[in-house]
Order: sequence, then structure tokens, then C-alpha cells
Amino acid sequence: MVERLEKRYRITMSWNYEKEEQWINELSEQGLHLKKAGALKSFFTCDPTTRFTYRLDYQPGLKKNRTMQDYLDLYQDAGWEYVVSYGGTWHYFRKEFMPGEPPRLYTDRESLIAQYKKIQRVMGGVFIANIVIFSANMTNLLSRFSDRLWGIIVPVMAIYFILFVLLGFGYVKTGNKIKKLVK
Amino acid sequence: MDKRKEMLPLTEAFYYILIALYKEPSHGYGIMQDTEKLSHGRVKIGAGTLYTALNTLLNKGLIDHFPIPEGTDSRRKMYEITEDGKIVVAAEIERLEELLKAGQQVRIDEKE
Repeated sequence: MVERLEKRYRITMSWNYEKEEQWINELSEQGLHLKKAGALKSFFTCDPTTRFTYRLDYQPGLKKNRTMQDYLDLYQDAGWEYVVSYGGTWHYFRKEFMPGEPPRLYTDRESLIAQYKKIQRVMGGVFIANIVIFSANMTNLLSRFSDRLWGIIVPVMAIYFILFVLLGFGYVKTGNKIKKLVK
Repeated sequence: MDKRKEMLPLTEAFYYILIALYKEPSHGYGIMQDTEKLSHGRVKIGAGTLYTALNTLLNKGLIDHFPIPEGTDSRRKMYEITEDGKIVVAAEIERLEELLKAGQQVRIDEKE
């Protein structure tokens, strides 16, 4: 029997991944359980008889099979079923739903702050890397296509501009989340 | 010894991980169970908190990988406390004792 997968659309932003978590948990309450995660399109299995608590975890750099396996083993030991990863950095786990206080991956303020800081650091790193790439690209494009301003130069600049705004926005938003916790 | 100053005060999670490993080398699951037992069910370390804490403690040299004993079929990674780890725990216990004594003294003075 082929499992039928339901599609749902949503734009996910790393700086408020808790919103995505909430969205997935609400769908699970309605009987739609996340199977495959995407930045825009996610797939769900349909089973109204069960409900899960989903949690997202950001862990970059688990590329080596062994490290990834150790990571998953530990979460599994803590009762989390591994569902799927997105982009090799966001990992989705779930646990059968239980009434009462919902289980969390980060159980104290300090570790949650450290987690937000990690996300923020990566955003900052990508931002700086892109400024370097952008400068290199621009120097190159300007020398070769200086006559095609609207055809090439402006569109490329616009794409980078959107990227910078998103990264900058995410960096500030994550910073606000950290400030809230530190207080 | 700046290593002590840098880590103190320990979070509850760090403290319980270190004293769980002080007893004997263990794996993640064992540490979670020990923490719950030692704190009479009050402190439950979440998987994300534990995973990050173990990596931090490894990086700071307070714990180390412990070779999986021969004959066990488990592939679970095991950890042991290092000498530096023991020094940090001892310093933290000393700090906590001071806090406790100061607090108790204030209450005794109040009653008199």
C-alpha cells in the first residue's frame, strides 16, 4: 500500500522556527503528521487516531555518518523519534503526544540561549561570507558587463540585497530572542 | 586555575552531568537517568541540552570519551570525567557550601 502524503505550504524562517514547530504540532493535532520538511512545501501523513509533539533542532556539521548516528542515538534514548532533516542542519523529532507540560529539547535557559547564539552566529557568518562573494561578483560583473546595467547588474544586486535584508533581519530577531532570555 | 573560574557557577545540567560521571563512566541515557534519580525527579535534562552540554564539556576537557567495554553489544558513546572535571566539581561544591552556609547563618541570626 502506498501511503498518501498531504501537502501543505508555509514559508519557514530560521529565526522563528518555534512558529513552524507550533504549526506542525497543530497539524498533528488535526491528524496530519510531518513526514518530509521543506522551506516551502512539507509533506504529511494522515492518521486521525494519533497525535505527536514535534520539536526542531538546529545542529549543523553532523555530516559524518558516525557523528549523526551518535546524535540520533542520544535523542532516541531520550524518547525522541527521528523524523527527517532539512538542509542537513535542521532536524525534526517527535514523541507521542501526552497531556500536560509538552516535552522540550532544551530544558534550561542557558542551553536555549547557547542554541539561539549558535543560530545567530551562523547567520552572521553567512552574511559576511556573502558580502565577500558579492564584492567579488560585482567587481567581476562591472568590468565585463558595464554596458548591461539593467540586464545583469541590477538583478544580481537585487538578489543580494534581498539576501542581506533577510540575513540581517534574522540576526536582529534572533538577538532579540536572546536578550529576552538573558533578562 | 582559570579553568575553574571560567566554568563556575555550573548550570544544574552541567553539575549533574559531572557528578553522574564522577561515580562511573556512562552514556547519555545513563546520565539522564542518574540526574533524575540524584535530584529526586526535579531535574530532567532534555536531549538538546544534554547533547550540547556533552560537547561543551568535551571541548573544555572536563570529560573525555571512554572506550566502550569489550563484549557489550551497545554502540552507545561513553564518557568519563577527567582530572580537570573533578577539580571543577570540587570548586563548585565549595562555592555551593559557602552559599548555603551564608544563607543558613542569616536565618539563624534572624531567629535569635
